[in-house]
Amino acid sequence: MPWLASKSGKIHYELSGPENGPVCVLVNGLTQYVKLWMPFRDGLVARGFQVASYDMLGQGQSDKPHLFIEQDDQVEVLRELIASLGPRPVFVGGISFGGVIALRCAIEHPETITGLVPMSSFAEISPQLMRLGMAMRTALILGGTGYLQDLLFPMNFSSAWLDAKADIIGLATRRGWLINDVYALQNLMESFLDFEPLTSKLSSIRAPTMIMTGEFDFLTPRPLQDSLRAHIPNSALVIIPRAYHAFTLERADLAAYVMGRFAEDVLAGRFAGKQSVWIAPDEVGGELTPFPAGFDHLRSIPVRLPPPEGAEASSPLHETAAS
Amino acid sequence: MNGQLGPADEGGRIPALQQTRIAAFLLSAHGAQARRLAVTMPMQLHQPWHIELHAQYCREMEILSLLAHSTAWVFDPQLPLMTWQWEGAWLPRPMPGAADHFHGLLVDMAALGHAIHAGIRPAALLPDDAAPADPFVLAMRRIEFESGRLLQAQILFLKGPQLADARDYVAAAVEYRHEQVRELWQAMLKGLNVAAE
Repeated sequence: MPWLASKSGKIHYELSGPENGPVCVLVNGLTQYVKLWMPFRDGLVARGFQVASYDMLGQGQSDKPHLFIEQDDQVEVLRELIASLGPRPVFVGGISFGGVIALRCAIEHPETITGLVPMSSFAEISPQLMRLGMAMRTALILGGTGYLQDLLFPMNFSSAWLDAKADIIGLATRRGWLINDVYALQNLMESFLDFEPLTSKLSSIRAPTMIMTGEFDFLTPRPLQDSLRAHIPNSALVIIPRAYHAFTLERADLAAYVMGRFAEDVLAGRFAGKQSVWIAPDEVGGELTPFPAGFDHLRSIPVRLPPPEGAEASSPLHETAAS
Repeated sequence: MNGQLGPADEGGRIPALQQTRIAAFLLSAHGAQARRLAVTMPMQLHQPWHIELHAQYCREMEILSLLAHSTAWVFDPQLPLMTWQWEGAWLPRPMPGAADHFHGLLVDMAALGHAIHAGIRPAALLPDDAAPADPFVLAMRRIEFESGRLLQAQILFLKGPQLADARDYVAAAVEYRHEQVRELWQAMLKGLNVAAE
């Protein structure tokens, strides 16, 4: 079991796949741990990538500072892990909290990252997200890890998945409860109390960036992801159909396929983000399709965008009927 | 070395010697915390933090009572020596670097509370076949759950603005108490052939 002796503590990580060539580094969400990346990891390994996944400081088997965890330390741990992988193309994918750390690493250490994939992530804390975060913190404090997990399951997964996996949810909850400590989770959450929005710094990200969002993610809804697209110059937003917050678990094969294709396109010099919006295929092997031109990708109903300046305005009712 | 307690008997009960030793350790640790809270708490409660001290004291007393009444106690000849070692460890520790002696003792008490409430997870040691309604099993779950709540007072105090300038010394105090509690807890479990990380 490999360990990284970072300046902030001992970090547990796992390496899978071929030792040479491009590597994908995966950064956990809040209650996640390394093993939960397995299906996603296998999808990338099957496409020829080496994959490094790790428990962040305060998570899983990594060291858990007792009182304070700074996000600066998390960024430094990621930088150290990337440095330990040697000089080769590095693609960093981070989900939710991990996406924030990945974004910060791309901003602060641009030379280390070949391609960036923030998933279900954010650069600013909207009032909704703030309220949800505070409610989750209270859930953890009053009800413990189990209650927090109960709260997260319906945010992370579809009803279909929850129904199909009903028999393993108890086991997953117990594993999560065993590997997570209340104080460590609380420290991770409280590292957001003095969070400085990253939005104004996003334009400095030079790495090609593919932002992935679940169609039905209501924990970090699409406007938060779209803000990344609008501010990162060479970026594209990809919507994973029928997915919720934790699509790297529910649609692991599809999400890995989309990230793998992105990395291959970047390596081949084919990726041109152009701040475009795409819809991922329903299944592995399918093609991404552009979001229908002229429609607002931030709405759940088909709403036409205002016509470009200079174009003749037409009746909104007519537009809706025509669509 | 096992990763959990047990094996449970046919009724899903944890072996009595394991119950006895774990309960004795928890009684010693939570008892020490209760004593320090009782000494620190004034007769009349004037400040908001006095109310929290009172709540902590009452919950610690509940834990002690729960342990005393839910454990299947058996004679354990090793307990006197172990208890003497544990009790010695929980004694108030003068804090070098503290603003004054009383302040230092408060930080040490909070640090010990943090270590006991955050570092000891007895329910995580219960085997899968432990009877969910067994009194000792229920007690372990309740103590771990309540510890997560009790911990909040220590977190608020130790991370609070009043100690912002003393962060290094507070962190060192917490680190010391965590290491101490972890060593004693793991040594006790090792004597039961149980390994806990």
